[in-house]
Amino acid sequence: MKHVIVVGAGPAGSSTAVGALRAGADVTIIDRKTNVGIPVQCGEAIGKTGPGVAEIDIPEESIRAPLRGFRLFSPGQISVDYATKEPSGFTIDRRIFDKELFARATEAGADSLLGARVLDITQENGTVTGVVVRHDGKRKTLKAEVVIGADGVNSQIARLTGLRKSYKPDDIDSCFGYEMANCDLEVTDLMEFLLGSEISPRGYIWIFPKGEGRANVGIGIGGGVETKTAKEYLDHFLKHHDVAKRQLSNAKVIETRVGALPVCGPNKTNVVDGALLVGDAAGQVHPITGGGMGYAMVCGSIAGRVAAKCAQNESVKTSDLQQYEKEWRKLYGAEFDQSLKLRELILQTEDKTLDKLANIVTGESIVQMTAGKKVKIFMRAMATKDGKLIALMRELRKLRMV
Amino acid sequence: MSPTSTASKKREKKLADVDGELCGICQACATVCPVNAIEVTEGYILVLPEKCTGCGTCVKVCPVGAITLIDR
Repeated sequence: MKHVIVVGAGPAGSSTAVGALRAGADVTIIDRKTNVGIPVQCGEAIGKTGPGVAEIDIPEESIRAPLRGFRLFSPGQISVDYATKEPSGFTIDRRIFDKELFARATEAGADSLLGARVLDITQENGTVTGVVVRHDGKRKTLKAEVVIGADGVNSQIARLTGLRKSYKPDDIDSCFGYEMANCDLEVTDLMEFLLGSEISPRGYIWIFPKGEGRANVGIGIGGGVETKTAKEYLDHFLKHHDVAKRQLSNAKVIETRVGALPVCGPNKTNVVDGALLVGDAAGQVHPITGGGMGYAMVCGSIAGRVAAKCAQNESVKTSDLQQYEKEWRKLYGAEFDQSLKLRELILQTEDKTLDKLANIVTGESIVQMTAGKKVKIFMRAMATKDGKLIALMRELRKLRMV
Repeated sequence: MSPTSTASKKREKKLADVDGELCGICQACATVCPVNAIEVTEGYILVLPEKCTGCGTCVKVCPVGAITLIDR
């Protein structure tokens, strides 16, 4: 039987493995870590109606609290709510979520190799044919028809195949977060987001309710921001900001978290002869929301299926594996492209103009815009007679977003 | 000597140093390292002194300020 190696046992890797198994390949999942899902490096919110409804199977035992939408605070604290009638997502426990998806992949037939660090790839005539790992203190070579890098933002497979060398600081968000108990949240089924160059330059602060007075409170700032660290910005917010004082003055820290995520859109290509990338490694992260799990899982199942089919056909050239790129970009390519442009526009917009924008948008229009879709706010913006807001509208119109 | 080569000489005397007590192993530093001088192993971050140019890119992105440039 044909063999596929998946590097990385996160949601991307486990979904990829299941996709490849279903299409009839032998699969080995390897991971550098010995404890899948730990440490948690995430805000832990996932939409069940997000990217590709039917394909995301959220393990029930990982669900912490139902979410119906969000409350967005502009820099000047003008809030915009969006809420669905029924829960449209959840906060989850990533330790359980990742572990459960991984367990399911092994139960579906995947082999596992934990504590295996990738040192190199093997190649024959320019085609990737396997990986060299360090495991149990020994150097081992594992061969496969296709190698799949699902190994996160710091992907070794991306580096070794040349698909991505390193990120520029501004291309990633530097994240820090606390899991807190004893919170007095004003809304327990909405995610709160706070924007503002003073509180979180080139990013945002989040408060995600987890039920029972618990919440994930975190920040992502642009990697190139040099004024303060992400931790310093978050600590300052917790101490001084009205929204934090109202809800979190009695809260206690029960876990700290750090992370990095790509916010510059997907890699130009994620395919070489004999190998491909998926998830954070591929840059499949929404450039505005920073969400990645849903995309990783849907793209993973496509990647696994295509890799298995190509392996069985004994033709794993870039042109064969390209089917994966074609399929996932058909689903999310336009959304990523459009939101990357929108991200650039928002980053150039002054806080005061964002406040004025918050005054004229609805939660529904924010959802549409972040999905890269057109919204009807142009006339309302014109009516404000605010020069900078109107200038922003003209730029949005160039992107066909208003 | 051109200004750039003076600058690069200066940089080469520096080395990134990770404070293990602050580091949460998020790997932000490794993702932006232009010379691939930062290795992630289970439990810690390793700066390879023979590769590190002391450019300080990693210092910028660290969410907890765990990296400083020290003299070689």
